[in-house]
Amino acid sequence: MSTDHPLSSRAAITGLGMTELGRVYGRSATDLAADAVLRALADAGLARSELDGLLINAGISQGVDLSLAQAVGLRDLALQTQMNGYGSSAGQMIGYATLAVAAGLARHVACVFADTPLAPGSRAGQAYGRARAGRRGVASIGPALGFAGPIPYYALHAQRHMDLYGTTQDQLGAVAVSSRAWARKNPLATMREPLDLAGYHASPWIVEPFHILDCCLVSNGAICVIVSAAEQARDLARPPVYVRGFAQAHQLEWDDTAPSLAQRSSAAAFSMAGCKAGDIRTAQIYDCYTFTVIATLEDYGFCKRGEGGAFAASGALGPGGALPTNTGGGMLSAYYMWGMTPVSEAVIQARGDGGERQVDRADLVAVSGNGGIFNYHATLVLSPAAS
Amino acid sequence: MAESSSAAPEIEERSLPFFEAAERGVLALQRCQTCGTFLAPVRSRCSSCGGTRIAWAEASGSGRVWSHGRLQRSFLPEHEGKLPLTLVWVELDERVRFASRLAASERAPVRTGDRVSVVFERLADGTPVPVFRRAD
Ligand SMILES: [Zn+2]
Repeated sequence: MSTDHPLSSRAAITGLGMTELGRVYGRSATDLAADAVLRALADAGLARSELDGLLINAGISQGVDLSLAQAVGLRDLALQTQMNGYGSSAGQMIGYATLAVAAGLARHVACVFADTPLAPGSRAGQAYGRARAGRRGVASIGPALGFAGPIPYYALHAQRHMDLYGTTQDQLGAVAVSSRAWARKNPLATMREPLDLAGYHASPWIVEPFHILDCCLVSNGAICVIVSAAEQARDLARPPVYVRGFAQAHQLEWDDTAPSLAQRSSAAAFSMAGCKAGDIRTAQIYDCYTFTVIATLEDYGFCKRGEGGAFAASGALGPGGALPTNTGGGMLSAYYMWGMTPVSEAVIQARGDGGERQVDRADLVAVSGNGGIFNYHATLVLSPAAS
Repeated sequence: MAESSSAAPEIEERSLPFFEAAERGVLALQRCQTCGTFLAPVRSRCSSCGGTRIAWAEASGSGRVWSHGRLQRSFLPEHEGKLPLTLVWVELDERVRFASRLAASERAPVRTGDRVSVVFERLADGTPVPVFRRAD
């Protein structure tokens, strides 16, 4: 496992800041984002004045913008912008931050996600249902007939996989059950009650084949990571988590005969990192839905095409499994901070901070981010050791 | 045309030819006059060749079920009391994908790959919308 890619391990994640996550009310997204940035700086042992880059991803509620710099008290930034690639944003921000520090444009770049889609008394899905309702003309026919929000589209992707490959409802359920088994070991997780397959089957349908437990949570909160130039990273407060590889792939209209975005993105990121799927010890996969995990496992090469369901049902993803996956409970059971959910858990595992849920060998962690309806993808390969 | 209660699509000017054709029971799609690619939903530039000579053309109305699912919960009050509804994502023979549902008259379940053809139903406000039934 080696690489001579000039960008591999040129940067490391040196700080992680997380606010309270979930039904956190009474705080604006900007306030939460500022809190996350300050916590990440404290975690890294960096002074505010040392931070010279800021990348912001505002989430569905669009509650944070460039004014964040003022809220944090950042006066001398060499790099700042607002970004959005939906679920791929976190991986993208870390990729761009790596490019920036590798090129010497900045030394320490904060990448922050903040969102407050939940209001007291609201149903979790409302923010996302509304977000897609504003279409006009021919484009509004789908929503009028029931394709409101992303759930129907993902449910139908799952059903196609079931029809083509024989993937079963129990196999979708296995993903939800394994996420919950991990969440029970994570003090920050929202859903910590025990869950078995019977409990999964008993949960209400949303769009068959999706029960409500096939769908991720919706959470308020903010998470920030600091990406530092590798040379700066070694002397900070916490062990660096190196960015071994990163890549993106995007496509608004997909073609069934072409490799998927997750295949293209993971292949490029693994190549930069100089590794193969078989070298990865733990995976933090963007689990907006149970099916997204099954699709990504196949696309990343952790199992063969069509066998993602069986792989999940084998127990591979859960505690003690062959590929511990979404070890904090993921977005299905822990918290939904778009791509920052898998990124934050990858950093915790790579540092060895997982406590009761720490996996044995977190020496090479794959992180996926997926946005739109499989329209935007980002992959990271993170490691406590530089390549 | 059977009536099905639902939220009405807002009709924008660019989409008017689609709904005018739907009134006649015809599924219309935009087609690039340069390279022949059919486009969806409504575009001012061809997603294949970039051309801007685009016209409405009559589509076959036939295709295959790319996938399907059963809507059991909706955020739209118009759907309450009508659930479950069978959603279908149809790949038309023109290689355009359409998110719709099975016609109200269709009772038998569908599977991915089944041949379907278009029929039109009216929403509560009278707007004609394309839905699909199993092809004979
Ligand atoms: Zn064209």
